[in-house]
Amino acid sequence: MYAITDPWVPPTRGLLSGMPMPLLLVLGVLTASAGALAAAELVPLTPARAVGAGGAQGALLAMAVTWARSEPRRRAAPLIAAIVVFVGAVGATLSPFGAIAYLAAPVWLWRQRDRLPAFGLARPPIGICAAGAALGALLGAHLLLTASLTLGYGVRVPTAAHLMSWLAYDAGANVLTSEAFFRGALLDRAQRRWHFAMASAFVTLLSLARYFVDPLLPHSLEVMAGAVFYLTLLSLANCWMYWCSGSIVPGIAAGVVFFACYRLLHVVS
Amino acid sequence: MSAARIRTALGPAAILLAITAALGVANAAPATPWRHVYLVPVVLAGIRFGVAGGLVAALGAVLAFGPFVLREIEGHGPTRAAAEGIVTLVVLAVSGAAVGSLAARARRQRERYDTLRAVQRALADPAPLDRTAARLASVLTQRLRVDAVGLVLDDGRVVAGADHVDPRSVAAYVLAHREPIFVIDAGTGSRARRVVVVPLTSAGETVGVLAVERLGDFSREERDALVGFGAALGLALDNARLAARQRRFAEELEQKVSQATARLAEMDRLKSDFVALASHELRTPLTALQGFSELLATRAFAPTEVRRLADIMRAEIERLGRIVSDFLDLSRLERGLTPSIRRAVLDPAPLIAAAVELFRRTRTSHRLELHVDGTLPHVDADADALDRVLKNLIGNALKYSPPGSCVRVRARATEGIVAVDVEDEGPGIPPEERARIFEPYYRMRDTAALGHGTGLGLSVVKSLVEAHGGTVHAEAASGTGTRMTVMLPALP
Repeated sequence: MYAITDPWVPPTRGLLSGMPMPLLLVLGVLTASAGALAAAELVPLTPARAVGAGGAQGALLAMAVTWARSEPRRRAAPLIAAIVVFVGAVGATLSPFGAIAYLAAPVWLWRQRDRLPAFGLARPPIGICAAGAALGALLGAHLLLTASLTLGYGVRVPTAAHLMSWLAYDAGANVLTSEAFFRGALLDRAQRRWHFAMASAFVTLLSLARYFVDPLLPHSLEVMAGAVFYLTLLSLANCWMYWCSGSIVPGIAAGVVFFACYRLLHVVS
Repeated sequence: MSAARIRTALGPAAILLAITAALGVANAAPATPWRHVYLVPVVLAGIRFGVAGGLVAALGAVLAFGPFVLREIEGHGPTRAAAEGIVTLVVLAVSGAAVGSLAARARRQRERYDTLRAVQRALADPAPLDRTAARLASVLTQRLRVDAVGLVLDDGRVVAGADHVDPRSVAAYVLAHREPIFVIDAGTGSRARRVVVVPLTSAGETVGVLAVERLGDFSREERDALVGFGAALGLALDNARLAARQRRFAEELEQKVSQATARLAEMDRLKSDFVALASHELRTPLTALQGFSELLATRAFAPTEVRRLADIMRAEIERLGRIVSDFLDLSRLERGLTPSIRRAVLDPAPLIAAAVELFRRTRTSHRLELHVDGTLPHVDADADALDRVLKNLIGNALKYSPPGSCVRVRARATEGIVAVDVEDEGPGIPPEERARIFEPYYRMRDTAALGHGTGLGLSVVKSLVEAHGGTVHAEAASGTGTRMTVMLPALP
């Protein structure tokens, strides 16, 4: 029993300690440059978006991998994480089927599952994963119902290529990097210094901020209000599922299903 | 989640769906009086599942009723009906949290009370403290819904949860500083492992620590309750420990009384045997004296025969004298006095030689050997007492040795000591009886047939030797037989 047989060592590590600063700096500069060049219309919007999204999401995954890895000496892992996300973003711009490249990130993470214990990829709990998917479907269905019946947004039927590219983007970049960073890394650290409720609130606030700074999200009032409502619920539920299972997979299941529903709305480009 | 809890959760969920379906079919407005029915599943879930249940049910109600309100706002703007709908949404959310919180608090109070009762029942068990502590740990694990419970007593003994206590551990710290400690994370697993360690106090003293670990949160209320619980548990544990100590004391006392009673019974038996034996020992010389004196009085004998009879009578009188001396010495011993001795500086060698020579002349059935190693130093001793000691030991050796065997007397000086060994070739003394042969009245089993004796000789020897500041002990001789060794301090 820890309290009796183990030496007590009060924690000294800070919440945000151990960030891969040089890599984050490079990715930040890359993302900001892409945004600035696109705003100045010096480069086309599509490649700029790809570079910006790849840089931002690559930075999230790189930080998550840095914090979650069990072997701190493997310095190349965060760089590889950023590269695979970046490759996915670039691949998606080349052809409609290029979005498949996004799946490089989950495949790489799966191969690294034993070195990233905080992500809980080795043995994802099937029951909680199913509950996560059901929660995503419930929130997504509610979103579609509310948005279409009360706010007048249309619902579109996607083509197979669209559906595949959405799923690949969410599963390989959008949801994956969010869950890896906010749950697998940040919540994992926060819960070790605060109560679960406080840690969850902190992580949820930051994950909301991540979506609000995303230039790809429509910034109309009702969309913003809806995003706050649904993403708060989704984030809190994902925190709870991570707390219960120790795995980010249920959160990924919930997020992928929810965002698949969300992308059925005409509001989304 | 257990099947029973799932079944319980299905009730509020079904009500929620039914109301929503009914409102949808009726195309109800947000201000419909039926909206208040949403409170039923929210309150039920709050009562049954606490804050989380109340909030989830309230969220479900908000999700279900929200579209009705949104549609009103979208269609007609911020009308009074829309405002009533919004108020209803707020009321549902607040009700879920409030009812759940109150229900959880009431449940925790009851659980705390039940836990205290369970602990009291566990501690009322008259079993040994270790077993009681193990049972207590089991009760606490179950009642407090924690993963591990440990109990460490103030003497550092771990009675539950582990087999040793690390001096750098949280438990050791709390034991030393008497203040509760909350460790927010004690592991590297996917879930934080919280640890609460509180002192167990009784009458202002720390009697131990209680440590609990859980893969999950401890609220402040729970931690405060654990501190209070530590006080109650400390008192109960201290009482249990006192009761255990009292039981142990009573058992020890009972054992000691039993041993003393047995010893008294043994002493009583030995005294009875002694009275019978002493009577016999006194009667034998008296009978001889009476017979020979009557013969001398009634018949005429030749002078040589008279001298022989007189020698026999003198020997019997000496024997009587020795027995009476032993009685007197025993009497002094039993009153806690040492034998009266008159010390003088004397050379022990002639005394030993004289005693050996006396027995050599009178007991021709045995061989008697004397070895004196070098020159013996002088001793400060009573010559008569020393003579009695030597004669007693040599006499015993001869008495219990088979005829024809050899009795060896060896005197030597070593490191300020004069030691005299008397070694026989008799049956020997069993190891378990070697210490007891110096007790008054004690006679070895199966020795009565070997010769006379009151059972006082060796106890008198011991008291005389000890009165000189010396020691006497018995040990097995090489081969069969016994070696009795007397050691007296030598003069420098």
